[in-house]
Amino acid sequence: MSAPVSSIREPLVLGHKTYHDITEDLVSPTEKAPPLSWILVFIPAVALLSLGTFAVYWTIYVGIGTWNLNRTINWGWDITNFVWWIGIGHAGTLISAILLLFRQKWRTGVNRAAEAMTIFAVMCAGLFPMIHMGRIWNAMFIFPYPNTRGSLWVNFNSALLWDVFAISTYFTVSLLFWYTGLVPDLATIRDRAKGVRKKIYSFFALGWTGSAKHWQRWEYLALILAGLATPLVLSVHTIVSFDFATGIVPGWHTTIFPPYFVAGAVFSGFAMVLTLMLIVRKVLGLQEYITIAHIESMNKVILATGSIVGVAYITELFISWYSGYVYEQAAFFNRAFGVYWWSYFGMMFANVVSPQFFWSRKLRRNVTFTFFLSILINIGMWFERFVIIATTLARDFLPSSWSYYSPTWIEISIYLGTFGLFFTMFLIFARVAPVVAVAEVKHILKTGGDQYVGEDAVKGH
Amino acid sequence: MEKNNNNLWIGKRDLKVDREFVENAANEFKEEIPTAQELAAKDDSPLGTTNRRDFLKVLGFGVGAATLAAGCDIPVKKAIPYVVKPEQIVPGVPTYYASSYVRGGDYCAIVVKTREGRPIKIEGNKLSKVTFGGTSARVQAEVLNLYNNNRLKSPKVKKGDKFENISWKDLDKAMMSKLTPNTRIVTNTVMSPTTKKVFGDFIAKYPNTKIVTYDPVSSAAILIANEKSFGQKAIPDYKFDKADVIVSFNADFLGTWISPIEYSKKYVAKRKIKDVENPEMSRHIQVESFMSLTGSNADNRILVKPSEQGAAILYLYNEIAKASGGQTVSSLSLEDNAKANLSKVVKELLGAKGSSLVVCGNNNIGEQVLVNKINDMLGNIGKTVDFTEVSYQRQGDEREMYQLTKDMSNGRVDAVIFFGSNPMYDFAGKKKFEDALAKVKTKISVGYSLDDTAVVCDYLAPASHSLESWGDAMPKKGHYSLIQPTISTIFDTRQAELSLLKWSGGVDSTIDQPYYQYLKNNWKSIFFSEDEAGGFRAFWDKALKDGVYYSAPTKTEVSFGADIASAASAVTKPSEGLEISFYEPVNIGNGQFAENPWLQEMPNPVDRTAWGSHLQIPIGFDGDKDFVTFNNLEDGDTVELSANGMKKKVAVVSTFGQMQGTIALPLGYGRTKAGLVGTKVGADVNDMLADKDGLTQYYLTGVKVSEKVGVDKNFAHVQYHHTIGVTAKDKETGELKNADEAAFPDSFWKDVFGVEGFQGMLTDRSVIFRSNINELKENVEKLEEKRHEYKHLNEQQIYNGYDELYALGHHWGMHIDTNLCTGCGACTIACMAENNVPIVGKHEVHRHHEMSWLRIDRYFYGELENPSTVYQPMMCQHCDNAPCENVCPVNATNHSSEGLNQMVYNRCIGTRYCANNCPYKVRRFNWLDYSTADIFYDNEPTLFEGNEMATLGNDSGQLESDPLFRMVLNPDVTVRERGVIEKCSFCAQRLQEGKLNAKKEQRRLTDEDVVTACQASCPTDAIVFGDMNDKDNELNKRKESPLTFIALEETNVRSSVCYTMKVNNRREDYTA
Repeated sequence: MSAPVSSIREPLVLGHKTYHDITEDLVSPTEKAPPLSWILVFIPAVALLSLGTFAVYWTIYVGIGTWNLNRTINWGWDITNFVWWIGIGHAGTLISAILLLFRQKWRTGVNRAAEAMTIFAVMCAGLFPMIHMGRIWNAMFIFPYPNTRGSLWVNFNSALLWDVFAISTYFTVSLLFWYTGLVPDLATIRDRAKGVRKKIYSFFALGWTGSAKHWQRWEYLALILAGLATPLVLSVHTIVSFDFATGIVPGWHTTIFPPYFVAGAVFSGFAMVLTLMLIVRKVLGLQEYITIAHIESMNKVILATGSIVGVAYITELFISWYSGYVYEQAAFFNRAFGVYWWSYFGMMFANVVSPQFFWSRKLRRNVTFTFFLSILINIGMWFERFVIIATTLARDFLPSSWSYYSPTWIEISIYLGTFGLFFTMFLIFARVAPVVAVAEVKHILKTGGDQYVGEDAVKGH
Repeated sequence: MEKNNNNLWIGKRDLKVDREFVENAANEFKEEIPTAQELAAKDDSPLGTTNRRDFLKVLGFGVGAATLAAGCDIPVKKAIPYVVKPEQIVPGVPTYYASSYVRGGDYCAIVVKTREGRPIKIEGNKLSKVTFGGTSARVQAEVLNLYNNNRLKSPKVKKGDKFENISWKDLDKAMMSKLTPNTRIVTNTVMSPTTKKVFGDFIAKYPNTKIVTYDPVSSAAILIANEKSFGQKAIPDYKFDKADVIVSFNADFLGTWISPIEYSKKYVAKRKIKDVENPEMSRHIQVESFMSLTGSNADNRILVKPSEQGAAILYLYNEIAKASGGQTVSSLSLEDNAKANLSKVVKELLGAKGSSLVVCGNNNIGEQVLVNKINDMLGNIGKTVDFTEVSYQRQGDEREMYQLTKDMSNGRVDAVIFFGSNPMYDFAGKKKFEDALAKVKTKISVGYSLDDTAVVCDYLAPASHSLESWGDAMPKKGHYSLIQPTISTIFDTRQAELSLLKWSGGVDSTIDQPYYQYLKNNWKSIFFSEDEAGGFRAFWDKALKDGVYYSAPTKTEVSFGADIASAASAVTKPSEGLEISFYEPVNIGNGQFAENPWLQEMPNPVDRTAWGSHLQIPIGFDGDKDFVTFNNLEDGDTVELSANGMKKKVAVVSTFGQMQGTIALPLGYGRTKAGLVGTKVGADVNDMLADKDGLTQYYLTGVKVSEKVGVDKNFAHVQYHHTIGVTAKDKETGELKNADEAAFPDSFWKDVFGVEGFQGMLTDRSVIFRSNINELKENVEKLEEKRHEYKHLNEQQIYNGYDELYALGHHWGMHIDTNLCTGCGACTIACMAENNVPIVGKHEVHRHHEMSWLRIDRYFYGELENPSTVYQPMMCQHCDNAPCENVCPVNATNHSSEGLNQMVYNRCIGTRYCANNCPYKVRRFNWLDYSTADIFYDNEPTLFEGNEMATLGNDSGQLESDPLFRMVLNPDVTVRERGVIEKCSFCAQRLQEGKLNAKKEQRRLTDEDVVTACQASCPTDAIVFGDMNDKDNELNKRKESPLTFIALEETNVRSSVCYTMKVNNRREDYTA
C-alpha cells in the first residue's frame, strides 16, 4: 500500500483483484474445455479458412485470370487487402513498443491481444504479395540469395523488394516480441498444468523459473525489442506506401504518402484492436482488465490519427489542384466524381467524419458506439486502399486504356479466407495462451490507480 | 595413372614434358563439359568417367526428369531430325519465297517466310507495282488460314447425313460419271489467267457449263456502269496519288473497297506534310452515314442517309453539270444541310479539274454512271480514273447468281461446283438458292474448309491453300503475279484447278506436278511466241524469284457514252424512317475470314469491338453534361433489329460520327459453319439484304430497333473512352464546349449535384497533338513551346540517365507518322504473327485481357456529331528512363545497351507493378494459360467462352494447344508462360538477325537490315524504325520535323517512339 492515494488516476484493473485472482481469471480459459460461444465462432472461422484455401489453390492452378484484374488495373483486391491487413497489424506494434517506451501502463490490458493480432494480420497480409504473383513457384527470385545465374541479383531499386525486407523484418520482430512477453505467462500455465500439457508448456516456457535474473533479462529484452520495433511502426507502412509513391501513376506519385500511410495504419490498427477487444472482453468476461478507460484511450488515438488522415486527404486534393498538372488533377477529380465515387466518399465519411464523434467523452466511453465505429473505420480504411489502387489505375494517362474492375468470387473468397485465417489463429491463441498479459498486469496492479478514491471508485479491500 | 591436381600428382607425361600436355595444362577444362544426354549416350558407366559436378548434374537431372515424368503429364513432343537434309533448308535460317496472296478479289504481292519448311510469316513484296510492299490485316493473317483446323482434310462423299472419306481416285471416277454438260461453276472473282484457261478446258469438255462469278461484297454496279459509260467492264485504275480533291460516296477505299492496300499507298502520297512552312495536303470528303475506316480518315464528312445517296449524287451531278455546261436532270429531295455542304464540294471539285477523283461504293448502276459522268465532266478520265491498267480485282455479278437460282429450280442444272465460294453464307438470295440447290443432283465443293456451303454438298474435293499451290494472278492489266507453294500439302488436298483439270480429262498423270507444268506452259504461251521460247526459262526463273512481272499495256482511251436520264432515274430514292447500312468489316470481310482467330480478335478500327457484329448507334449531346445515345442504349446492350421482315438480336455500340437516324451493322458474322473460331460469332445479316435490279443493296430503310432486350455479357470492347475532346454546343449559352470533359463524372454527381468535369482534362493531355492545316504554323509553335516546357521540367531532376552510353553503338528508335496511319490494323496482325502473341477469345477480350503488343488507339475530336479521328499505334515506347524497369523487384525487365526495354520471361514472377506503372499501358500479362505453356495440362481457358459455342468443336476448345495451330509459331520467339508479363520487344529477334547479317557481311548495319514486323506490314510507311545514332537515316530525318512529338513527354520516361502532330485539311465552313 505504498502507492499514493489518487483522486484522478483511475485504476487500470478494476475489481480489486489479488494476484491470484488475476492468474485464475486469465489463465483458466486455457485450462477448460472451450465454451459453446468459442465453438460457434470457431466453426465459421475454419469454414472461411477452407473457402480461402480453395480460392488460393484455384488461383495458383488456373492463374491470376481467375481474378478480374485487367491490362489497366493490374492490382485490385489483392494489394488492397495486403495494405489493409498490414495496417491492421500496426496497432499491435504501436501498443507493445511505443507505449512501452512511453511507459503507458494502460497498455498491459490490451497489448498481448494486440500483438497477437499484429502477427496474424501480418500473416494474412503476407499471403497477398505471394499469391498475387503470376508465378508463385518462382517466388524465391525475390530474395537476394547467391545463385548460379550469373550471379543474378534482385533489383534494389524496387519498392516491392523493400517491402519484402520490411515485412519479413516486421514479422520477425513482432513474433519475437510477442513470444518474449508470453514466456512468463507460459511458465505460469506450465506450473498449473499436468501431464502432456505440462510437457508442452515446459518446452515453450523455455525453462523460465521466475528468478530475479530472468526477470531482469526479460525486461531488458523487452526494452531492446521495443527499441527495434518502434522504428518499424514508422518504417513498415512507409515502405508499403513506397509501393505506390515510387510509381509515376498520377495519384500514387506523392511525397505525402509515408506519414499519411503510417497514420492510416495506426488508425485502422486501433480500430481493429477495438473490434477484437470488445468481443474478447465480452466473451471472456475481461471487463475488469480491459476497462472503459482502455477503450477511451484507444478512441483518443483513433481521433488523432483519423484527423491526421483527414488532413492528408485534403492536402492531396489541394496539391493536385495546385500542381497545375492535368493528369494529377484528373486523377483526383476521378476519385471523387468518377466511376468509383462511392469508394471515395465511403472513405471520406468513415475515416474523416466518423472519428470526429470521439470529441465527445460520452461517445468515447460508449462501448456499443465504439464497436460500431471501429467497424466503420475498418471499412473506410479498406476503401482508402481501394481508392488509391483500383480507382487510380482505372483512369490514368491514356484515355484509350481506361477500364473498370470488380472482383470475382475467387478474389472475394480469398479475402474472406484471410478473415478465416485470422480468426482461426486468434481463437486458437485464446485457447492456448492468456489473451491478457498475466505477468504484466500483475506488474501494474499495485501501481496503476490502485488507490483511486475519486468518482466511481469501488469500495472494498 | 595420370592426375593433374594442383601439381600434387604428376603424371608420366608431365615428367617427360609432353608438349601437348603442357599446352593443355593451363586450360584444364579444354573439352566441353559433357551434357547429361551425352553422358547417357556413352556405353561405359557414366559415373566412372564423370567428375563430381557432372554426377550431381546427372543426378539432379534424373530426379527432376523422373519427377516431371511421373508427376506431370506433359505430352511427349518428338523432334525428329532430317535423315537426309534438304538442300535449301538450313535449320534456324529462314527461307523466303515470293508469292501472291489471292482470296477472291483480294490481292497482294507477298514474300513468304518459311522456317524448316513451315510458312510462318507473310511480308509484302516491294517489287510489286500494285501493292508496293504493303499488306493488310487479312494478308498478314493468311498464314494462319493454312493451319486452320476447319480445313477439309481429305476428299469426302456424303452418305446419308454424314461425310465419308473417299480416295481421290474414286472421287475422280465419280465425277467423271456425274458431271454433265449442264454444270455450273460458282466462284468469286478469279484474277488468274491460268485458272481461266482451266475453266476454258472444263467448258470444252462440258460445253454448256457456265462460270457464275459473284463477290461476297458486290461491286457489280461499277462494272456494269463502266461498261455502259466507257465500254469497259472493269474497275478503272483509280489514281489517288494524283488527286487533290477526293470525294467518296460510301467507298471504303482505305479499308475494304476493291484494292485497299494499293489505294492506301497512293492516298497517303498527298497526305504527308512535307513542308511545315507551306503545308500541302489533298482534300478528302466522304459522303456516308456511318463512320467507315475511310470516313474516319477524311477531312470532312457529309452525313447523308443511305437512301439519300442517290439524291446526293444527283445534286452533285447537277451542280457540276450546270457549271460545266452539261445536261442536268431532275433532282431528288435532299436535306438542306447536305445540300449546303455538297455545294461547297462542287466548288472544290471544279477548282481541281483533272486532279480530282469521285468514287462511289454504292451498288447502284445509275449512281455509278452519274459518278462516271461527274469524273468525265471534271476531266478526270484518263487522269485520276484511268482505263489503261484496269483492275480485275472485282469481276463478280450477283445477277448471275439469281439466274443460276432460276436455272437450278427449273431443273436445268445437273451439277454445281463451288469453286472456293461460299454462297450459302454470303449470297443475299441464299434462301431461294438453298431450295433451288436441293434440286441439283450433284453438288461438289472444291473449297477450302467445311463452310456453310460445303456441308450441303455431296462431294468434297478439298482444295489446297494458296501457300501449298501453284498459281498466278493478274490483279491489274499488265501486272502479273505468281503463286508458288511454300510447303507440301499438309492434308490430303489437291489444288482446286487440278481437280477441274482432272475432271476435264486433260491431265497427264505421269507428270509429277501437272498443274505446275500447265501454269508454266500457259505463261509461255502468253509471253512467248513459238520461236523465242528459248528465253523462257530465264524469264520464268526471274518471274518466280520476283513473284511479279510487269509489262506496260498500251494506253486505253475511253469516252463517256451512257444515257444520263435513265441513270438518273435509277438512283436510290429517299425514304423515311430509321435506316441501316451494312458494311464490310476490315477484318473478316463478308465472312471469308471468319475462321481466322487473329482477324476475329482484331478490333474493328472504328468502333473498337471484336468477336461479334455490333450495331453501331449514333450518339449525341444533351447540350449540358450528358451524352445521349440512340434509344438510351448503353454499349453492350442487346436489341432486336427488325428489317426486311426479319429479326436479329445484336449488341449495340455507340459510335461517334454515326448519323442521327441511321445505324450500321457489319457483314461477315454469324456464319453457321466456320469451325471452332467463327461459328455463330455475331449475327448473319446477308439474308436480310435487299436487291435492286438484281444487285445487292447494302442498306435497308424502315428499320426498327427494339428497346434493350438484354446485355451481351461478353461484349468485347477494347476501348471504353473514345474521345479526346469532342465539342458540342451548350444548350444555355450556345457556346461550344468540350462535351466529353463535361460529361466525365459518374451520373450520380451529374444528376444530383450537377457536377461537370473540368475543361481541359482530356484536351490538355500530351497524348495527341493535332492541328488543322490552316493553323499549322501556330500549332507548331505551340507544340514547340510545350516541348520546351517539358524539356525544362525534365531537366529539373536528379537522375541524369545514361545518355552518353546510349550515344555509343546502336540506339533503336521509332517514328510513327499519324498523318500516314489510316488505322487499317495490318501492323497489329503482323505483330501477332511475328511474336506469337496468343489469342484469348471473346470472354477474355471482354475482360480487357487482350494480349496485343501493338494496338491502334483511336480518338475522336472536334465536332461531336461529325468528329475527326486520329489513330495512334501504341506499343512499348522503350523508354530510356523506363518506369517499368525500376519497379520490378527481380530485374525481369531491364534496359539493353542499345536502348531496348527488354523483358526476361524466365525471370518474371508476375507482380505486375511494371504494367501498373507503364503510362502507355502496353504491358500484357498472361492472366491464364493462353498458349498452353505452363506445367498444368488442363487449365487452359476455352477461347470460346461467351460465344455460345463452348461445347462445340474440338476436344478442349483451346486453340493454341492444337498442334496444327502451333505450326504457325515463330521459332525465334519464346512462347510465354502463364503468369509472366510480355510486351513489344521492337522485334528483338529481327534486330539480332539484322546485326548478324551485317556482321557476316562485314559492313555497317543500315536501317534496311532491321525492319520490325509492324513497319514491314504497313501499307503507308507510317512506321519508320532505325538507329537513332545513325544521324543520316530516315528516322532522324523524320524526327527532326517540327511536327514530331513524344507522347507524355513531361513524365520524363524518355520514350524512344515519336509521333507526328495529326494534321487534317478539314474545312470548318462545312456543317455537321
